[in-house]
Amino acid sequence: MVDGQILYNVTQQEAFGIFIAVYFYLTGLSAGSFILSTLAYGFGMEKYKSLGKVGVILATVLLIIAPLFLLLHIGVPHRAWHLFVYLNFESPITWGSFLLILYPINCIVYGYFMFKEQRKTARLFGLIGIPLAVSVHGYTGFILAFGKARALWNTALMPILFLVSAIVSGIALMILVCIIKDRFFSRQKKLDYPLLENLGKMLAWIIVFDLFLVLCDILVLLISHSDAQAAAHLLLSGKFFPLFLIVENLLGKIVPFVLLSVPRFRNLATMIIASLLVIIGIFFMRYVVVIGGEFIPLI
Amino acid sequence: MRPDRKIMKTDKKRLAMLIDLRKCIGCNTCAVACKAENNVPLSVWRSWVKRVEKGTYPHAREYFLPIVCNNCEKPICVTVCPVKASIQRPDGIVYVDPHRCIGCRYCMASCPYGVRHINPVTKIVEKCFWCHHRVDAGLEPACVLACPTGAILFGDSSDPESEIAKALAGNAVQVIKAELGTHPQAFYIGLDQEVVDTKELE
Repeated sequence: MVDGQILYNVTQQEAFGIFIAVYFYLTGLSAGSFILSTLAYGFGMEKYKSLGKVGVILATVLLIIAPLFLLLHIGVPHRAWHLFVYLNFESPITWGSFLLILYPINCIVYGYFMFKEQRKTARLFGLIGIPLAVSVHGYTGFILAFGKARALWNTALMPILFLVSAIVSGIALMILVCIIKDRFFSRQKKLDYPLLENLGKMLAWIIVFDLFLVLCDILVLLISHSDAQAAAHLLLSGKFFPLFLIVENLLGKIVPFVLLSVPRFRNLATMIIASLLVIIGIFFMRYVVVIGGEFIPLI
Repeated sequence: MRPDRKIMKTDKKRLAMLIDLRKCIGCNTCAVACKAENNVPLSVWRSWVKRVEKGTYPHAREYFLPIVCNNCEKPICVTVCPVKASIQRPDGIVYVDPHRCIGCRYCMASCPYGVRHINPVTKIVEKCFWCHHRVDAGLEPACVLACPTGAILFGDSSDPESEIAKALAGNAVQVIKAELGTHPQAFYIGLDQEVVDTKELE
């Protein structure tokens, strides 16, 4: 056991701050929305047809806003063009530079053909978009996983954990947007309740998978090397325990799961509450991973 | 052969630093010389001396751990830099091209030694690069020259006749966080793992 006491040390500056957490959050919402929009227009599941147009608009708008947070984050924004000229294919950020260009363009083309009702062409771009959507959020997981210094980030689980939480937040956002759209902006002012119920069930089961991944991550951290154990304890009993256990996992995942999966609780009000909780919970998931990941000093 | 030196090629120049902690008196001259030589702004440090106290009186001792960039043989900061602004020279020195860096801080996030910082004035990333401007002129890095006890040795470790190669061969040397596979090239004599592991939470 270390019984030393620091007399003097230089503390490290924060590398990834809140802007990166927000960026990860927005790309996650975008990727999730896109994948939902392809259920009808890519895979031909007609019951999800009304999600198509909403999904592609959300995906495009969110993915145009997201990189603005990167510009706020970097120290010298007017040198951002360096990312497209001086390439380092070993770096996930370089992969991202191209994904962040290709994905919104594909979204716009896909949306254009969808609104033109050219189903065959829309289907083609929808199917091209799925690997792009998966990559555009998966690569953000790789950014953290390549952050070798930090035990909380440097795990192979990071990309899949990010993808699953992206889909979770995407479905929750879609439920809320569908309710608002049908209630206030549609001609009939009538909600498509069976569709919402379907989305709710889908959300509940993907939340279970997300919880399983978080459990895997924490359990392995707990028995891994000392830095990993310190990271796990920071989340379970340290400074990040209220955000991680209570906000992210209890309020953001377990409560929505119960509200959505138990038939007795399931109605419009609980569905709205559950979706709101999920959207807030996933934001704090990004926050805990990014800010909590670099909380413990390195030296 | 020690794993940290295994990947060194003998026909290639490989600069290395050896800090003898038995000689270090914790005077901070190296840190101050570094600041002056490299014009490092207030609030940030390219090198510093970590001080840790162990034990209780009368069985107590203060430990000094000078921290510099390890100029790793396999630097993760060079791997992750999206614009190739972090560059490893053939002699092993890792430096940041100030005209190319965009300040994305990915290198800071991935460096296990926390030796990189954002310059508060220019907003680009800076680090210790073993004073390569002095090395190229045939001089020693500022910290090596300034150390009053001669605790820091610097030179070409691939040349078997160099002083540092002999010292590395003739002493039990350690590196910080060897388990990460970055192959640090700042070696220590008398490194205490507890001193490395002692951290304060903000």
